[in-house]
Amino acid sequence: MWGSQAGFGSLVKGVPSFVIPSVPDPAAFLRLHTDDHADPSCKIKIQHGTTTLAFRYQGGVIVAVDSRATAGSYVASGTVKKVIEINPYLLGTMAGGAADCQYWETYLGVHCRLHELRNRERISVSAASKYLSNLVYSYKGMGLSMGTMICGWDKTGPALFYVDSDGTRLKGNIFSVGSGSTFAYGVLDQEYRWDLPDEEAQELARRSIYAAGHRDAFSGNTCNLYQVKEDGWQFIGNYDITKLHYDGPGEAPGNGYGYDIRVEGQTSTDLPATAGQA
Amino acid sequence: MARRYDSRTTIFSPEGRLYQIEYAMEAISHAGTVLGVLAKDGVVLAAEKRVTGKLLDLSSAKEGGGGYGGSGEKMFLINSNVIGGVAGITSDANSLVNYARSVAQRYLLQYNQDIPVEQLAQRLCDMKQGYTQYGGLRPFGVSILYAGYDPHYRFQLYHSDPSGNYSGWKATCIGANNGTAQSLLKQEYKDDMSIDDAIKLVLKVMSRTMDSTTLGSEKLEIAVLTYDEAAKKPKAKIYKPIEIDGLLLMHEMSKKIEEAMKA
Amino acid sequence: METSFALTGKGYVIVAADTTAARSIVKMKDDQDKIKELGSHLLMAYSGEPGPSNAYIIMPTQPTDPLLSFYSGDTIQFAEYVERNIRLYQIRHLYPLRPSAAASWIRRSLAVSLRSRNAFTVNLLIGGYDLADHKPTLYWIDYLGTVVEVPFAAHGYGSYFALSLLDRYHNPDATLEEGLATLKRCINEVSKRLVVSPDRYKVKVVDKDGVREVEL
Repeated sequence: MWGSQAGFGSLVKGVPSFVIPSVPDPAAFLRLHTDDHADPSCKIKIQHGTTTLAFRYQGGVIVAVDSRATAGSYVASGTVKKVIEINPYLLGTMAGGAADCQYWETYLGVHCRLHELRNRERISVSAASKYLSNLVYSYKGMGLSMGTMICGWDKTGPALFYVDSDGTRLKGNIFSVGSGSTFAYGVLDQEYRWDLPDEEAQELARRSIYAAGHRDAFSGNTCNLYQVKEDGWQFIGNYDITKLHYDGPGEAPGNGYGYDIRVEGQTSTDLPATAGQA
Repeated sequence: MARRYDSRTTIFSPEGRLYQIEYAMEAISHAGTVLGVLAKDGVVLAAEKRVTGKLLDLSSAKEGGGGYGGSGEKMFLINSNVIGGVAGITSDANSLVNYARSVAQRYLLQYNQDIPVEQLAQRLCDMKQGYTQYGGLRPFGVSILYAGYDPHYRFQLYHSDPSGNYSGWKATCIGANNGTAQSLLKQEYKDDMSIDDAIKLVLKVMSRTMDSTTLGSEKLEIAVLTYDEAAKKPKAKIYKPIEIDGLLLMHEMSKKIEEAMKA
Repeated sequence: METSFALTGKGYVIVAADTTAARSIVKMKDDQDKIKELGSHLLMAYSGEPGPSNAYIIMPTQPTDPLLSFYSGDTIQFAEYVERNIRLYQIRHLYPLRPSAAASWIRRSLAVSLRSRNAFTVNLLIGGYDLADHKPTLYWIDYLGTVVEVPFAAHGYGSYFALSLLDRYHNPDATLEEGLATLKRCINEVSKRLVVSPDRYKVKVVDKDGVREVEL
């Protein structure tokens, strides 16, 4: 078999199907080996903790993610690329099972390209996300674990969809997914508005990922930031979360996001003007 | 006849007295003098040492009793904010000091702050009182002066006696010659005294009340409690013998000076 | 879900707690005051552990049933026990416990209870104004007996949204108006994002003049 066919052999036969373990009940088989809540000594621990976020605004779509991969309590990697570059106009984010997201979003890329070749125009973000949603839904109950955001720019302008392995697909302006999402929302919601300038939008996304990286043990290390504009996505940068804490995003230190850094020198003690401490 | 009322601590005499308690008080009035003076920025305690002599091994006293300073005879660090000065039966005093230290530690464990001075005195008095009431037990033959600091009332000086009574003082004295010392203190005490004034007063009173004519580290113990502004906590200091001699020299009360003067 | 917040500012501590009293899926009461005034300058917000306490719909019948400890009756029992003991200290010694000492004592009570057959499962926020050093102090205590002094704190599911927000917006030297505005941010965020969010909160402030309730 050709190398390129190795992963996507199912395409050769025309009908998409996925090779499943040759046991009577594949889903039960997978559950048996991956359910780390019920069985901490299970052989396969799936990456669960993450923070990803994306939001739509006047200038396009901002996508920001952390880079930590955890397996149980073990930090398996601090340099994971959780933004999957599906094609020059589409980005997908990765939360849940790393392998599931990587595999199926790459697979989605293949079909987006086929759509382009067949229809002489790019697939809409809506259609791409629907394709992914239908696909994972067909595997429902078999152990897939994905929480992803499909971000892009099409004829309708900037577009953002949330798709997960339960089969949920939602259109929206702001999403955050993963164990650190609540912390990201806490910061993101406060200053989000449609007409954010590009710079402020990027800063808001960085700060939100920082907040999650700081508060959520399963998120952290670095922040990857992307922006989708009319002419496709653009990688803005990779930011060390520890450096964001102490120094902030720029080269010049002194703009750290960290609470202690930000409030240094402030005190809640309120000595009355007359009361001397003898 | 008197036997009927003074052999048990728990029995009142027909005149309404508890003889054993009074005898315990009497025992204390023969003990070495301990006096305390409250200043606006600290408290001073001084005590007369009785257990002295040529043959007594004082090698450990040079380093200070138990590493806290002093010889460990009459001055004890009870907690980081309280120094105790004891007069009476030494073994009883040791037992009470041990109890007081435990009480202070228990408070620290429970509240994560130093025990307020009055509460410490109260707790010891609760115990002392118990021994005046429960049958077959001898009262503690000890009076204690507590020099302490807490944020509620700042510097404080308390006295407790074998009956379990306690009271707060600006300056007071227990042990031998306490009457003389009290009247001297009454004359000389001023409300706005600084810690240095208090030390001077203490030395003056001690030099008058002690049997020996001259002061020296072999018969004197001194402790002061002040507040360390930098560390924001009370600072207890029990003087080592060499430091006491230095203090006496500074206040020109040293035996050595007097000897030199004579010569 | 029970949610409580607290934050310090220049010379004050704000303590806020939702006012719902729920048993399983039923809202029994919507004006419950879950902030005790332990003294003239001391506040305590108390809430139960989410999860187990709300998960059991059937009442256990045996008083020794271990599940009993999950009941929110626990929180009120513990709060009143604390309230009476703190009051007793003040009666005995004529002055109140300082906030730090009160927090230490409360933590210890919880830790002792934790090692008994029927432990209290109660989370606390202790806000106090220390008249000795004019310091507004806030202690976060969880049902396991962890105590930590913090500039701001939260319990319950609301904390997942509020803590990152407070990391970003809390200022130790903010005025009371600014502090209340920050609290409003927290409450609004939780209302916006939490599925079963409380709709009403009681808010109390402690400063040099003592404790008082404020309307948001």
